[in-house]
Amino acid sequence: MHGVIIMATVKINGKEITVQDNTLILDAARDAGFEIPTFCYQADLMGIGSCRMCLVEIEGQKKLQPSCITPVLHGMSINTETPTVISARASMLEFLLANHALDCPVCDKGGECELQDMVYKYGPHKGRHAEKKFKFQEKDYALSPVIIKNSNRCVQCQKCVRVCAEVVGANVLGALGRGDHQEETSFFRHFLDCDQDGNCIEVCPVGCFMRLPYRYRTRPWDLKGADTVCPYCGTGCRMVIEHRDGVLIRSKAQLGVGLNSETLCARGRFGCDFASSTERLKTPLIRRGGSLEPASWEEALGYIKEHIPVNIGNKMGGIASPRLTNEELYLFQKLLRDIFGSPNLDSTARWEPEATEGFIKATGMDEGGVSVFDCMESDSVLVIGSHLSDENPVTDYIVRRIKNTRRMSLIIASPREMKLDSSATIKLRHSPGREAAVLDAIALAVNAGKPSPAEGAALKDAKIEDLIASAGVTKGAVEQIAQRLLAANSIAIIAGMEFLRHPEGIPELGLLKEALKSSGKKVLVMPALDRANQRGAWEMGVHPAFGPGYGPVKDKGLGCAGMLEAANRGDLDMMYIAGADVAAMHPDEEFTRKALLKLKLLVVQDIFLSETAKLAHVVLPGSSFAEKEGTFTNQEGRAQIIRKLLPPPGKAKRDLDVIRAVGEVYDPSFGPKMPVLVLDEIRNAAGMYAHVSLAFNNKRNTENKLDNRHALVQGSATSALSVTRFSAATTEPEGRFHLTTGNHLFHSGRFSRRSGTLLGLLSAAVVEISEKDAASLNLKSGDKVKVKGRHYEAILSLKTKKGSKEGVAFIAENYDDVPVNRFFKKGEPAPRVDITKVTY
Amino acid sequence: MGDGFKIFELVKKVLFTDFVKGLSITLGYNVSRSITHRYPDEEKWIPYRRFRGLHTLNKDEHGRELCVACELCSKACPTQCITVIPMEDDTGRGIADRVAKVWKVDLVRCLFCGYCEDACPTRAVRLGREYELACIDSRCNVRQREELLHPQPTPEAFEGGVVARATFIRKKRSIKVKADLMNTKKRSI
Ligand code: SF4
Ligand code: SF4
Ligand code: SF4
Ligand code: SF4
Ligand code: SF4
Ligand code: FES
Repeated sequence: MHGVIIMATVKINGKEITVQDNTLILDAARDAGFEIPTFCYQADLMGIGSCRMCLVEIEGQKKLQPSCITPVLHGMSINTETPTVISARASMLEFLLANHALDCPVCDKGGECELQDMVYKYGPHKGRHAEKKFKFQEKDYALSPVIIKNSNRCVQCQKCVRVCAEVVGANVLGALGRGDHQEETSFFRHFLDCDQDGNCIEVCPVGCFMRLPYRYRTRPWDLKGADTVCPYCGTGCRMVIEHRDGVLIRSKAQLGVGLNSETLCARGRFGCDFASSTERLKTPLIRRGGSLEPASWEEALGYIKEHIPVNIGNKMGGIASPRLTNEELYLFQKLLRDIFGSPNLDSTARWEPEATEGFIKATGMDEGGVSVFDCMESDSVLVIGSHLSDENPVTDYIVRRIKNTRRMSLIIASPREMKLDSSATIKLRHSPGREAAVLDAIALAVNAGKPSPAEGAALKDAKIEDLIASAGVTKGAVEQIAQRLLAANSIAIIAGMEFLRHPEGIPELGLLKEALKSSGKKVLVMPALDRANQRGAWEMGVHPAFGPGYGPVKDKGLGCAGMLEAANRGDLDMMYIAGADVAAMHPDEEFTRKALLKLKLLVVQDIFLSETAKLAHVVLPGSSFAEKEGTFTNQEGRAQIIRKLLPPPGKAKRDLDVIRAVGEVYDPSFGPKMPVLVLDEIRNAAGMYAHVSLAFNNKRNTENKLDNRHALVQGSATSALSVTRFSAATTEPEGRFHLTTGNHLFHSGRFSRRSGTLLGLLSAAVVEISEKDAASLNLKSGDKVKVKGRHYEAILSLKTKKGSKEGVAFIAENYDDVPVNRFFKKGEPAPRVDITKVTY
Repeated sequence: MGDGFKIFELVKKVLFTDFVKGLSITLGYNVSRSITHRYPDEEKWIPYRRFRGLHTLNKDEHGRELCVACELCSKACPTQCITVIPMEDDTGRGIADRVAKVWKVDLVRCLFCGYCEDACPTRAVRLGREYELACIDSRCNVRQREELLHPQPTPEAFEGGVVARATFIRKKRSIKVKADLMNTKKRSI
């Protein structure tokens, strides 16, 4: 695509326009303001020109041409509104209706159906086909717990098949049969074991693919919606959530809106029902005589006032969840720092604050936002330390989709097999936790065995052979990667959460970046984060070592682990935990519980009675993302608005109001009161946000641009971050498998377990190992197995993966019946486990 | 005025002419055919078929509910007095696997305009001939699906436009006028 751009001038309906050569007639016409109806065309998908709705007349050509696959030629004269075209459209629709079920009153699509709209606008209002309609089946059939199918309504546009193959990469849909008996469905209509993201539902223009929990519950015109951002991962997908009679019953994506356009993953599309869960906290609770009793807000705030003195200083600690909005997080750190005078702040229970600080620096988050689309413009993209397909599914879609349409190389380094592997140019299976060795080996290979000046001291004595052995990879593969990187002018690195789990890789990430930069390449680094507002939490300064905008703080405080230790020693008396389930997520559950129980006062603000809330003295009911306004900053550094759909349940309040109410107990002027005013304060305090535009200016089809650059944060002028070196982690000697953890495709943290639909997708805990290991242990997918570590053992079902590294077992961190943190012990090497078959 | 006129007036008064005139009308009505409906005690007007009274939800010949809960009636209703909440049920309760979980109409708001029956693709909702909507409890202004599914006393086939003999039934919490459709007569209003 590089080089001179050739332009072509064409006439559309007599209007002369100049567009880039090779533009589709459809896009050119839409650009010029002429509407052409389409069924099978979709900006992201390969054109197939099958539905013939978009026929146009080109002067000099006898036959009408499909505008969605015909590019303009200089000098063409195109007509989109001649009588021939108009009658051709009507005829196409008549054919489509010849076999169409037309059971609109029953069909869930009724009211938002493209076929209805099209026939209404262009259609023949009388059909001439008297033949009996062909029926695929009498009854709708379920394709998965969330997808139900009625093929009698199909218009054979193949969008479902294409989105599944080209964007999602699951490739589980296809066309059975031919002609008007062609049915787009799963392989012989088998129940699908796929990503369950429902993108097929979203793209289907008619009511063929329908969503299950939503089925027959409402009509689209009864729904009230709000634009928001998915609360589940750092990709930051835009979506619309909708409610009927106060129950959140659907979230959907919109074509051309947000970086995700029409796609979402299973969590975003089906997981938002947690907001309407009956288990939501509806009233403040106070511990009285051992149990938590309902109380009023006055009582709860009074209790806090009575127990926490002003300026309690570092006897107090605060942890705020990366699922709160920027405004809430900002106010939270302001409360801790300014009102209580405590520097102890953290936004996660899972990582060390030094690790997060180093990661922020190494990935250059303080240098401003990096768009994923810019990354995908690079010649070479390296994905490392992230199980992208499961942790950030829509980022995976974007990578796959763009990779398949341009010449570039995609390198994936990960211990476990993932869906994106099928698009990779090179995939590298390394031992878990060895990102550092992989990066060092690549860095050395890039410089032909000698460290570059940037890497200097760090790699002086390193030998590529040792690194390769430690990473468990082959020299050939590393050299191949090095070649690809050397051949590329621009390189993007997508670095994921494994770097935080195994922080010794963080400095090496920084080193490789510098080394590549110093050899004259354009290098972009994008973090892949697994919590919706993790980046926002850091940028708001909810961290013991830096303030808003990564600016310096007077004195550094303790992170989560430090606070728990201090509590255990008796040096920390009180904690305010907003939204984070520390007891469930912090490695070493037993220690965490013990430490939390030692606190004189534990205030927990949450929307469910979490494991942590059960230990609290005061529980304050907050609000879910559907009940408040504010902004989230996604992994790229894009600040995006979320809007309120519902009021918080019962006596619960917006989190901003809760934090402010606590502050007002001590300082009546604590504020600001409104999210927008807080944002103004953030713009002043954190320069990165000063010019961020929240305006919503995505456009699709005419420009095909989803990259809203005005939303990216700028670089921080006050950044005071440093990278700490971590000693290499060790693993236990015993046990066949190295245990790793992360997010499941259907879950994110513990939070998604409150979604009935997601639970329906995967209810029991699963341990994943490679197919080879399973074969040698005489196990197969679906078996019940016992996973035995030194501190904990559990029974799970087994799932095997074909290309995963041997000797690695993976248990997601999300199951409440098998809390994976029980396998871990503070200050001990990474756990190894044995897996045996359970026989009854 | 002349004296002759005065005498004429006097004679009229003495002979009670006006009184007799008035009384003759009364007596005439006394012996002519009565047009007052003896409603509710003895008679009840049965409207024509095109009358638009209380909603009725119909079933097909197999006893399956015709309503597929498409919500078109509630969408078409100018006063938004119909609420439909659909659900899935493939036990054969309805003609499709989509049936109404809730179908209710708020009669206080209803205009009896009939837009709902026009909108209904399955002719499930019809405005029937029930017009006695008064009751002692405001809750009964909202009529639920369960009640509307019961056939109304006057069958569709009955022509209407007649007065039927009726009995007035008074119970503790309700009053009812029961018409005997076998015993009707046409009567001009
Ligand atoms: S797909 Fe559209 S046209 Fe077809 S039955 Fe459903 S609503 Fe009607
Ligand atoms: S099922 Fe829907 S998306 Fe798939 S081919 Fe049919 S109409 Fe198109
Ligand atoms: S979980 Fe992540 S990838 Fe999935 S819809 Fe939400 S933001 Fe997008
Ligand atoms: S008769 Fe008219 S006002 Fe009454 S429910 Fe039907 S549409 Fe609504
Ligand atoms: S009564 Fe008719 S219009 Fe109303 S929901 Fe039922 S089927 Fe639809
Ligand atoms: S949209 Fe052009 S052929 Fe379908």
